[in-house]
Amino acid sequence: MNYPNKHKEIVTSLMDGRFITVNEKLFDVINEQENRTFYTAFFEKSFGFELKGTHEFYYLISDETKENTSREISIFFSIFCYELDKDGKNFLDELNYSEFSIEEITEYFKNSSWSDVIDASKQLKDGESIRKLINSTMLKRNIVTKSINGKYAFTKAYKLFIDYARDLIKEDNQEKNK
Amino acid sequence: MIKSEPRSILQFLATHFDLLRELFDIQTSNEVITLSQVDNTLKNHESEVKTQLLEYKLLVPQNDDFIINEPYFVLFEFILQQFKPLLPEEIEKFGQSIRNLFGKIKENNLDDINHLLARIEALSKEINKFRTAVTNNTISLLNESRELKANTQKIDYQQKVHQARNWIENYIKPLNSILDVNHSQSIFNELLEISKYSNKKRFDNSIETLRTQFEKLYSLLRQVIADINKQSIILSNELLPLIERIKTESEYLKGFHNYLTNGNCWKKYEPPHIFTTTRDNLYNPFIYENTKNYFEQFKNEEDVIIVEEISEDKHWFFERSVYKSKLESNLPVDDFFAWCEKSLKEEKDDFSFDNYFMITSLMFDEDFNIETLQEKITIKTKQGELIMPKLKIEKKEYELSK
Repeated sequence: MNYPNKHKEIVTSLMDGRFITVNEKLFDVINEQENRTFYTAFFEKSFGFELKGTHEFYYLISDETKENTSREISIFFSIFCYELDKDGKNFLDELNYSEFSIEEITEYFKNSSWSDVIDASKQLKDGESIRKLINSTMLKRNIVTKSINGKYAFTKAYKLFIDYARDLIKEDNQEKNK
Repeated sequence: MIKSEPRSILQFLATHFDLLRELFDIQTSNEVITLSQVDNTLKNHESEVKTQLLEYKLLVPQNDDFIINEPYFVLFEFILQQFKPLLPEEIEKFGQSIRNLFGKIKENNLDDINHLLARIEALSKEINKFRTAVTNNTISLLNESRELKANTQKIDYQQKVHQARNWIENYIKPLNSILDVNHSQSIFNELLEISKYSNKKRFDNSIETLRTQFEKLYSLLRQVIADINKQSIILSNELLPLIERIKTESEYLKGFHNYLTNGNCWKKYEPPHIFTTTRDNLYNPFIYENTKNYFEQFKNEEDVIIVEEISEDKHWFFERSVYKSKLESNLPVDDFFAWCEKSLKEEKDDFSFDNYFMITSLMFDEDFNIETLQEKITIKTKQGELIMPKLKIEKKEYELSK
């Protein structure tokens, strides 16, 4: 049987909890109709994992989830976007095209009025925790990439977390209308 | 007077919290709670606790209606973090009392120290009330402005601007002047003045109790000034530019607001699923599995209790001298092997061959004469039977000539 090109890299990457995003070669491989069908069945039959994909990123999910990490990342994006907007910036443009140093990001959190939420969060409560969240968790999962100048840019994986926050209202409304 | 036990009241608040929350919401929007509203709320919650509501003084009558008693109302405002924005006049009154008390303290009349101490204490109380009022008011204005920004009421842009202007003109700007460090008459500047004064007095006052009291006042002010500075930053960064800020509106911003408000991100919503990675294998690709297997092998193992077998043989020692003197005292003995059996049984009923032959070794002693008889005898032990000749044993008589 012939496996798709870069099979090992794709499997290792996804099994490491990485998001494979649109600007990567791996994305082009997995995004081919035939390969997508193959990997969906492959992960389902081999491990019982579900391959999720959009036109901008792919990732795996299992019955077990990293709930705390996911929550901290969701809170991170909610506050960060809110603060970018407060700073008069278009947060979608910023997430798509800008690079940020850790200091710039932590400054937004330091001056945020969502201090009650920030103080209650283990991974956002101070500069060092934020640095760890970005430089370790988010970098490893390919939610951010680090450039040669030490600044961070967001990959399209950010959309999972901001779309999630946006869609909660729709879900609430649907429940109310039931 | 409340005759009920305090714990019962607190227990009641916890048990009937939803009912009380509904009454709180009614009063927040209507200022009073009518009798029929009380009855309807009780009916909605299928509750018959009207007597307790009055007995615990949770509700107090106001003409024909009711209101939630002030201390409880403040408690609900605090735990729900739901404060009604205060008009500047309501905050300014703390400024007045702070100024008056500080003026009297500065007169520094040491003739009546107790009165001076009471004034310093009263000043501290007023400063604390002022801090609480400012903090609660900022929270309330922040909540209102966030609601407006997220446009939870779904109003059009013109209405939003109108609303924002109202908040800015009537609440935010006046609060900002109260906290404005550049405004010489602001309460914030008054606090800085008191801080400076108490800092000096905590060292140079001649009376120790006064020095201690000024020390406490100074310490309180350090914290209050830091807290108020924080509120002031929120005012200038987030509330004063409200009109500018409400220009942008999006589904996303509504989502973030909804997710972060009231701790929804912690309590209400489950975050998106992301993959749980397997452990990193630093030394060997199977280190995790191997370690797991290693520990699992002990998981269901029953406890092993080692009971040491107590061997009586180990504890029995042949004391030759004892047995020899015993034999000597019994001489002559017609059946030596039967004697050995009998003597051993007196000490150790369940003896072994080894024990037995240790005793029989006495026959080789030079002090005894042995005569072999024709008869045979049988000795029974736990290990088996021994058929032995019958031996007569007597003391050896030494010839004097030798």
